[in-house]
Amino acid sequence: MIPYVNEYDTPECKTLAETAKKSIRTPASLGLDRCIQCGACTASCPAARFTDYSPRQIVKKVLENDRSVLESEMIWSCFYCYSCNLRCPRNNSPVTIVQVLRQMAINEGIGVEKLAYFLEIGEYLAENGASKVPGAGVKNMERDLGERWIRFKKNLESTRVELGLSSRDIRNTHGEVQAILEATGYFEREKWLKAKIQEKLLHQLLENQCIKRENRSGDFGFESDRRYPGQPAFII
Amino acid sequence: MKAIGDIPDSQLLLFKSCMVGQEYPGVETSTCYVFDRLGIDYCINDEQSCCTGIGHYTDIFEGLTTAAIGARNFAVAKRCGYPNITCLCSTCYAVNKEACEVLNTNTEVREKVNSIFREQGLENLVYEKDDMNPRTNFYHAIEILLSKVDKIKEQKKFDFSRVKTASHHACHYYKVKYLDVLGNPENPQLIDNIAAACGAEPVRWYEDRTLTCGMGFSQLHLNKSTSLQVTKTKLDSLQKAGIELMLHMCPNCQIQYDRYQPVIEKEFGVKYDMVHMNIAQFVALSMGAHPYKVCGFQTHSVPLEGFLEKYGII
Ligand code: SF4
Ligand code: SF4
Repeated sequence: MIPYVNEYDTPECKTLAETAKKSIRTPASLGLDRCIQCGACTASCPAARFTDYSPRQIVKKVLENDRSVLESEMIWSCFYCYSCNLRCPRNNSPVTIVQVLRQMAINEGIGVEKLAYFLEIGEYLAENGASKVPGAGVKNMERDLGERWIRFKKNLESTRVELGLSSRDIRNTHGEVQAILEATGYFEREKWLKAKIQEKLLHQLLENQCIKRENRSGDFGFESDRRYPGQPAFII
Repeated sequence: MKAIGDIPDSQLLLFKSCMVGQEYPGVETSTCYVFDRLGIDYCINDEQSCCTGIGHYTDIFEGLTTAAIGARNFAVAKRCGYPNITCLCSTCYAVNKEACEVLNTNTEVREKVNSIFREQGLENLVYEKDDMNPRTNFYHAIEILLSKVDKIKEQKKFDFSRVKTASHHACHYYKVKYLDVLGNPENPQLIDNIAAACGAEPVRWYEDRTLTCGMGFSQLHLNKSTSLQVTKTKLDSLQKAGIELMLHMCPNCQIQYDRYQPVIEKEFGVKYDMVHMNIAQFVALSMGAHPYKVCGFQTHSVPLEGFLEKYGII
């Protein structure tokens, strides 16, 4: 399948660092080349505190142009909390670099299955002008949050009316949002993503039947990636 | 750095938040209740769409889509004469501000977005450079509240002097555009100062004050155990500090703390004594708003009845 590359998030460049700097996900003033490997980002990072994830190492891999970083489970552990962005003394921004790396990984079909959960957001936005927790997330929340939340959700419309709001939060976008998502190529990419996810699931199914799946995250040369099995995906 | 004197109190477009609307609608009504009593000139416009934040940070929307949706919402704000976008959600705030910056500074993206609008017959949405200013057209609702603390103090109806509060300032308010924060981004005090104006006793510093709430967009769903571990760390610190009321400023944080506190209690075998509110709900309550018909506390997961009874509200 031809990869679907979105040129603004992941402009084609010779090195990872150049792509990161040129991407519209990162600030124009990105201090990537100024990184002194001080580790202030990792010291501030919630993911680093509870797992072997390290934004400092990710920045190092990008500067070394080590493309194996795209295959590491690590890049999927960031909270997008921007603590590294605030604390970096060199105006670097590991969090936005990770966003670019995830987009690059997605272009190569890596980790696309993690998006399956969220794809509904686009369609819902086009239709209603608002976003919502995707259906699978609602199921998880129902299981976790139990009766009280289910009851509240059931009463949401009447609660909103009682508060003096419209019964449902639907926006009047005159079809403009739908038109924009079509014209930016969002839907085309979504279609590609869905096909890619399907292909991957099928592939995994076949693989599972022959060989036991290995834990691949140890293969990419991170100092500590070897001990980083990744989190088990939360069941959809 | 933003200055408190520069915070506007007119022509504010109160930017609807999807997560507020679906989980804590009382945050929107509380904000309106308070704005009305502070004499703020604002409007709500149903033509405004989601900022794309949830999809943007779960990696499904690309930067171009986010910029184009931003440009459309900016046109909505300008067209109705309320160009000061004022957000209830910290992610809306950061996403809009960033979209504006991209549209102003990246000619290629701006032209692409405009060519999309023209192609689709949406000429009225075309964005010209500097149509909006990322620093002076974008606010979080609590900045408006902070600029009116004197009035908030005057309109106080209850004695909250025994309430020990703690604040969780939202990451996407002070860590994304950290040069554009009211106060020191290493130690933001906005919520604390507003709570103090309502008569409460804020605990200014507690362990892990700047730690994220743990939601992490896809993390709550893909890496749930780490996500809840982060939240638990924060709740543990608050418990240790003897906090009775935790105040936040973002529906995503509120979902994580209020909805998941009972889940963490069950899964980790712990017990917490604090309850949760958005700071706008607390201000509204302090001004005499009805806890259910305005503040919408019936939508909370951690019951607030004990708190409301203790302070003579119900
Ligand atoms: S804080 Fe900044 S300079 Fe230090 S290691 Fe991280 S990215 Fe590099
Ligand atoms: S944004 Fe990501 S890398 Fe940066 S501190 Fe937060 S979790 Fe760590």
